[in-house]
Amino acid sequence: SLIAGTELKEGADTGRVLCLMNMITPEELMDAEESEEILEDIKEECSKYGNLLETKMPRGSSGNRQAAGIGKIYVKYEDAASAQKALAALAGRKFADRTVVVTYFGEEYFDVGAW
Amino acid sequence: PDGTKKRRKRNRWGEVADNKAAGLMNLPTAITAPMTAEQLDAYVVHLRIEEISQKLRINDVVPADGDRSPSPPPQYDNHGKRVNTREYRYRKRLEEERHKLIEKAMKIIPGYHPPSDYRRPTKTQE
Repeated sequence: SLIAGTELKEGADTGRVLCLMNMITPEELMDAEESEEILEDIKEECSKYGNLLETKMPRGSSGNRQAAGIGKIYVKYEDAASAQKALAALAGRKFADRTVVVTYFGEEYFDVGAW
Repeated sequence: PDGTKKRRKRNRWGEVADNKAAGLMNLPTAITAPMTAEQLDAYVVHLRIEEISQKLRINDVVPADGDRSPSPPPQYDNHGKRVNTREYRYRKRLEEERHKLIEKAMKIIPGYHPPSDYRRPTKTQE
């Protein structure tokens, strides 16, 4: 089943980078002003759970809207405890009438932008 | 109309308790097990399809005030009844989004079955 295996196994690595999904459409992403506003909204909310070091919102090059990472927002916290707090608080929230889905993301991939 | 194009600040965030569709679809939103990018993409497509289906079922289709786009001029049918109501427009928008996502899901999810209340749009529709 699709939803089997979404829950954490004991001892799994978590980390301090989160990937936020189902928040922004490709159309909104094409609108520079709107996507900037969306990113500001997200940063503001994410900052409530800990010190936010960096956020990334892949936009892809023009004509390449299907690239990996498009439509997702990645946030990096100073520590894993903040990331854990944010994941618990943000998952299932409504964002512009869409339901936010959150997962952990490998820091080494975040740093080099390997989505 | 002052020409500066600065939009009214709106808050896109809502609370879990206000998220009726999410409560009904009962799918995990905090993914804590390792999944590949492909698995996550497929899961989010599935979740969005279920989310739209719930919204259509419970008629929760009109976005909150700040999330609405400007209304187009009204259109009326032969009996003087308005046809492009807000509810009609947003329902149609969600149905179109769901249709595209279902086409995608059929390609990327092996054995995918669309929701039972989904009807494939016919070519004769605009």
